[in-house]
Amino acid sequence: MTGLFRRVRPEQVRELTLVFILVAVAAFFSTQIPNYLSARTFTDISTGLEVIAVVAVGETLVVLTRNIDLSVGSVVGLVAYFVGTLLANNPGLPAPFAIAIAIVIGGALGAINGAIVAFGRVPAVVATLGTLAIYRVALVELSGAKTVTTDSLPKWLLDLPRVSLFSLGDLDVRALVVLAALVVVVFQLVLQYLPYGRRLFAIGSNPEAARVAGLPIQRDVFVAFLLSGALAGLAGFLFLVRFGNITVVAGQGLELQAVAAVVVGGVNIFGGSGSMVGAFLGAALINLLQQSLLRWPAVSAFLQDALLGVLILLAVASDKVILERLRTRWVRARRRDDERAAAAEQAVPGA
Amino acid sequence: MPDAPPAAAVLEIRGISKRFGSIQALDDVSLALQAGEIHALLGENGAGKTTLIKIMTGVEQPDAGEIHVDGRAVRVGSALEAQALGIAAVYQEPMIFPDLSVAENIFISHRDRGRIVDRAKMRRDAAVVLERLGARLDVGAPARGLTVAAQQTLEIAKALSLRVRVLIMDEPTASLSAHETRRLFGIVKALRREGVAILFISHRMEDVFQIADRITVLRDGRWISTRPAGEVTPVSAIRDMVGRTMSDLFRRTPTQLGDVVLEVRNLAREGAFSGISFAVRAGEVLGFAGLVGARRTDVGLALFGIAPADAGEVLVDGRAVAIRNPQDALRGGIAYTTEDRRQLGLLFPLSIAANITLPTLRRYLSRFGLVRRSAEAAAATGFKERLRIRTRSVDTPAGQLSGGNQQKVVLSKWLNTKPRVFILDEPTRGLDVGAKAEVHQIIDELAHEGLAIILISSELPEVIAMSDRILVMREGRATGIFARAVATQERLLAAAMGQAEAPAGTA
Repeated sequence: MTGLFRRVRPEQVRELTLVFILVAVAAFFSTQIPNYLSARTFTDISTGLEVIAVVAVGETLVVLTRNIDLSVGSVVGLVAYFVGTLLANNPGLPAPFAIAIAIVIGGALGAINGAIVAFGRVPAVVATLGTLAIYRVALVELSGAKTVTTDSLPKWLLDLPRVSLFSLGDLDVRALVVLAALVVVVFQLVLQYLPYGRRLFAIGSNPEAARVAGLPIQRDVFVAFLLSGALAGLAGFLFLVRFGNITVVAGQGLELQAVAAVVVGGVNIFGGSGSMVGAFLGAALINLLQQSLLRWPAVSAFLQDALLGVLILLAVASDKVILERLRTRWVRARRRDDERAAAAEQAVPGA
Repeated sequence: MPDAPPAAAVLEIRGISKRFGSIQALDDVSLALQAGEIHALLGENGAGKTTLIKIMTGVEQPDAGEIHVDGRAVRVGSALEAQALGIAAVYQEPMIFPDLSVAENIFISHRDRGRIVDRAKMRRDAAVVLERLGARLDVGAPARGLTVAAQQTLEIAKALSLRVRVLIMDEPTASLSAHETRRLFGIVKALRREGVAILFISHRMEDVFQIADRITVLRDGRWISTRPAGEVTPVSAIRDMVGRTMSDLFRRTPTQLGDVVLEVRNLAREGAFSGISFAVRAGEVLGFAGLVGARRTDVGLALFGIAPADAGEVLVDGRAVAIRNPQDALRGGIAYTTEDRRQLGLLFPLSIAANITLPTLRRYLSRFGLVRRSAEAAAATGFKERLRIRTRSVDTPAGQLSGGNQQKVVLSKWLNTKPRVFILDEPTRGLDVGAKAEVHQIIDELAHEGLAIILISSELPEVIAMSDRILVMREGRATGIFARAVATQERLLAAAMGQAEAPAGTA
C-alpha cells in the first residue's frame, strides 16, 4: 500500500478521479436521454469541446503562476467578430492568414493584460476584470451593434466544422477537435520539457523562492498572459467557425467555464501545480455536462451556470480539504520511509 | 592554526553601510572571505547579520561601500547577479519549490542546459551532485515534505551545481538534529576542501568553535573583531557581542509584589518548545530573553491561544484554565500584544477608537445592536489621556500615528479587556529612543497597578532594566531564571547560547 501510495502523487489521483466522473456522468445521462450513447452524441460533444479546451489551456498557464485571466471571454468574442467581419469583407483571404490574424490580435490583447499585471503590479483579478469589460465594450463599438451572419462568410469556413480527419466506424473525428487536442498536447510538452514551463510551476509554487533564485518572474508572467490571449484568439477563430453568427455577446461567460475547467481539472488555483491534461479533462467534463443538460428536459438551461458555480466551489473546496489531507499523508509516508532508510544506513557500518 | 598569507579574497566587502528608516542596520562594515575558509559571523539579535547577507546576495543594495570579487569591484544588483558571481545562500528555512521535484529544484536557476529539458539527464546530473554531498534523495519525487536537513542539502546541491564560490549559511543548524548537524558539517568541510569560501552564521557556540577557521563579531551594525578561531574563546566572543550601554534606559521603580497570578507548569508545543515552567506575581515583570529561534514568542502565542500548547498546565489565580483560542485566554484574564504591529496589531485605516474597542465591542452596543459611538469615544479618550497618546482626536486613523503612539493604541486595546496578565512581545521594536522610554514608563505604571507582566524582548539591556526576574530560553527550552540583581548581559547571553560558564568580571 505504502509503495503504491508513494508512487502516485495526490495530484495524479485527481486526474484519475476525473476520468471516473466523466464516465459516471455519461452513464447517468444515458439512462435519462434516449439514444444518448451514440456516435452522434460523441461527435456533438467533442465538437463543442474545442473552444473551451483551447481557452482552458491558456488559462492554465496563467493560473499556474498564481494569477488569473478573466478577460478571455471578451477576447474570444472580439477576435471572432473581428475575423468574421474581415472574412465577410474579403472572402478571398487564405485560411492560414485568418488564423494567424486571430492569434496575433488575441496575443496583443493578452499582452496588454500581461503588461498591466507583470509590470504595472496590478492584481490579476482586478486587471483582467477591467479588460474583460473594456474588450467587450470595444467589441460593441466596433460592431455598431451589427451582427456577423453565416451567409456573409466564405464557404470554406462554414464547411470547416464538418471536415473529418478520419472516422472510426460511425465516430467522426473532426479536424478541429484534433487541432484542439494538438494544442493541449503541445502545451503539456511545454510544461514538461521547456525551462519556461518549469519556471511557471516554480513562480506559482513559491514566489519568494523564485525571486531569490533569480528567475525572470515579470517576463515569465507577462508571457503567460500573452499566450493566454493568443490561445483565446485561436479559440475566437474556432468560435467563429462553430457558430457563424457572431453577436456582441459572443463568448460571454467563457471565463467562468475556463476557470471552472482549470480548477475542476486539478490545477491549483493558488498556482504551482496542475497539468494541461487535467485542464483538458476538466473542460471535457464541463462541456459534457453542458451538452447533456441541453438535451435533458428535467433541467432548465438557466441552471447550467449555477451548476458550473457549484462545480468550481466543489473543486476548490475538495482541493483544500481532500488534497491537503492526501498531501499530509503522503509527506508522512515519505518521512517514515526516509527514516527507515536512514536507520538502515546507520546500521550497515556496524554490521 | 596557521593564518595562511591571504591570497586575494574571493569576496570582500569594504565600508558597507545601510540604513532602514531611523535604524542604522550596518555602519562601515568590512569583511574578507578567503577561498577554502569557514568564516563564522557572530552577533546578537539586530547586530546586522541578516542585512549583511541580503547585501551580499543582491537582495538589498548598500547605501555606501564596495563589494569586490577576486579583487574586482562589482555591483550585486539582484539575486541573479549574485548567482552569476558565484555567491549563494542557504537559509534557516530553506527556499524550495514544494511542487517541483528534487532534480527540478536543483536546476531551476540554470540557463545553460539547452532549450529543451532533458529530464533523464537532469535526474542523472542531480544524482551526481547529491552524490558529491553524500546525500540520498529521490531526485524524481517532489520536494514537498522534505525534512529541513534534506531541504538544506537540496539548496547546497543547487549552489554547487551553479559552481558556487561563496556559500553563505544562515543559522543552518538551528533546526537540525545532532546526527543531521554532523552530516552537514561533513558537507561543509568537503566544500572547504574544494576551495569554497563559507560564511557560517550561527547562535550555537559549540558549532562555531567546532568548524570555523576565523570568527568575526558584529554589534549594533558595526564590525567589532575578526580573529582566527584559535584565538577566540566563548567568553571573549560573548564579551565582544554585548556591550551596549544601559545608561539611557528607563529605571524601574520598586513595586509591591502580590500573589502569584499566572503559573505555568511544563508547557510544551510539539516542534516549538517544551518543559516551560514559571510563575508571575501581581506587580511583577518577568522578562523573556533569548536569541532568534529561542521560541519565546511561541510561548506567548500558546498562552494567548493562537498556537495552543499541547501539554502542560496554565493556572490563573490558582485555577487551571484550558486555553485553546484567544477567547479562552481573554476570559482567563490574559492579553497579548504582538511583535508584528504592522501585520497583526492594528487596523491602519480604522480610527484609534475603533481599534481600541475591537476586542471588546460588545460592551459598546446599544440595545438594538448598534455601536454607541459616544461611549466608544469616551473609552478611547480615557486611554488617550492615561497612556498619553498624542493625537488631536480618537477618530484619527491609527495608521497616521507615529510608531510609539501606535504601540500605545495597541496597549490600550488590550488593557481595555481588563487583563490580569499582560504579555508584551517586543513592545519597543522599531521605536525611537523617546518613544521607547514612554513605553517603558507605561510598563512600570502597569506593574504598579498590579498587573502581572511578561516582557518578551530581544534587547538584553531592555530586559534587564525592566524586569524583576528574567527567564532565558534557548531552542525551545528554558536555560535559567535570573533575578535582576544577578542578571548581566554576559550571563544572559551565555545562557541564551547554551554556555554553562559566563564570562567573569562583570557585575
